[in-house]
Amino acid sequence: MNDRGQLYTIEGVAAGLIMLLTAYMIVGATTIYTPGDAHISDMQLEVLGSDALTIMDTPANSTVAESPLRQMIENDSYGGGQFKSMFMNYTNASGYGPVHNIQFSANYSYVVPGQPTPASIAINSSRNLTGGEHAVRVTKWVIVSKQLPGDTNVENRAVLVEVLLWRD
Amino acid sequence: MSDETGNLSLDFLVGFTVFLLAFIWVAAMVSGIMVNLQSSHIDYDAVAYRTGVILVEDPGWPASPSWELYPDSQKYEISRFGLAVSKDTPGLLSQDKINRFFCTSFVYPDDYQSRVIFGDYSYRFNISVTDLTSGRQQSVGDVLPNDEYGYIRRLAKIKIDSNATIGPSYYIAHSYNNTGTPSDFNVTQHQFSILINGTKLLGDQTNPAYQIDPNIEPIMINLTNLNSTLFPGVYPPVTPPARINLTGIKVYVQHGNTLSLANTWNTLYIDGSSTASAPPHRVLDNISLMIDPYNFSIMSAGYSNVYFNLSFNLTDSSITPIAYKGSFLNNTLSSPFDYNYNGANVTQPQLDDAVVEVAVW
Repeated sequence: MNDRGQLYTIEGVAAGLIMLLTAYMIVGATTIYTPGDAHISDMQLEVLGSDALTIMDTPANSTVAESPLRQMIENDSYGGGQFKSMFMNYTNASGYGPVHNIQFSANYSYVVPGQPTPASIAINSSRNLTGGEHAVRVTKWVIVSKQLPGDTNVENRAVLVEVLLWRD
Repeated sequence: MSDETGNLSLDFLVGFTVFLLAFIWVAAMVSGIMVNLQSSHIDYDAVAYRTGVILVEDPGWPASPSWELYPDSQKYEISRFGLAVSKDTPGLLSQDKINRFFCTSFVYPDDYQSRVIFGDYSYRFNISVTDLTSGRQQSVGDVLPNDEYGYIRRLAKIKIDSNATIGPSYYIAHSYNNTGTPSDFNVTQHQFSILINGTKLLGDQTNPAYQIDPNIEPIMINLTNLNSTLFPGVYPPVTPPARINLTGIKVYVQHGNTLSLANTWNTLYIDGSSTASAPPHRVLDNISLMIDPYNFSIMSAGYSNVYFNLSFNLTDSSITPIAYKGSFLNNTLSSPFDYNYNGANVTQPQLDDAVVEVAVW
């Protein structure tokens, strides 16, 4: 009897088990990382940033006509850390939950009469943007009564406050 | 037997069996790959996000009357918690809804699971609201685990209800203490009325963030230092302290030019007591009149002007009290106390900064 080229039963079983084990390991080790996973942490930042801008643009009571954000832009008083301390205070505020180290860079832009592109003015930032950050962008339209560069007099203008947020 | 053509070998059978087993096993594990897609972490974050949105942007259900007004006996009629003042004001939370939400009459986790977390899986969670302005922190749920959990943080404003506190200088400035003419000393019954003008309250301020609406939020009116407004009359010549008795509070609604009695009012807190007392009741110095939206809205339906009329009588301190004539808080000759948007009369609604945090695991 010629036994060459034969696969014996016990070897077949062993080979089968090895195949199964391999399949099991591969399937177990695979994590499908969907865009949705990254979206969740982006969304958390985005919600937080847009909430912060909203409450900064809400006056505390009816006797205060202008919101803190509007006052800062009208008086150009955001540069001295006022915007930074307020925004950082809100975004890093926490009760029971974890503390997040959130950084930001903010500016506002407006339409210059007669110019094709809007102009932009830096507000403040907690850290310089290096380009490597995974940042999200939140915006808020704010009505200000101000003579913006290029305007001839003080008038009600809509400016777009734009904040880039990222985690350290 | 030498002809073996067409036979199935044992090797083939065993090999095919192993292959089938492997195939079934792998097929069964494919669904396991999909489990990674809805891994606990992502799912928990999504549930936390959804809960955060419901809490911060939704006023809850039922909306009219609002769920926070339902007593404990009817808590099963509340189908969804939401802390927003109205559906048009996302991010503006009602102080009363927050207090009711954290009320101990709701049991963790069952009452919260079905009304704000939702879903078939029984999650564990922790919900907290921190008022950054006052530092007050309220929470419900389990202690946060050390390992991973789904989390969302929302920033919002809490609308602090309006209230009015008036004292002697206010009484005198508005002639609520009618000591002016001698005849006023001959009065043993005194009336003090409070006007709530619904048309003006809803018309003068249309922004729901700053509006005073007694139909949806409570009003507190504190009358302080009443004893100092009491002046002895000419007869009988007893020395104070006389007794101040609040005999009743009647509520009148105005329809056209006619006033009609709508109800009597029984929710008030006397002399700093934390439990409500009903008149008639002796008053030493302070009265806090609590006007809750549930009873107010039933009573004021269709009427704009509502008057709360507090009746006092004065007696001496003897065992069988004798009516006592004197001057006291009384605005029948002047004008009712107007609960309005004047900051000198009423402490206006205030918006506090707040953080709402939801953790789910």
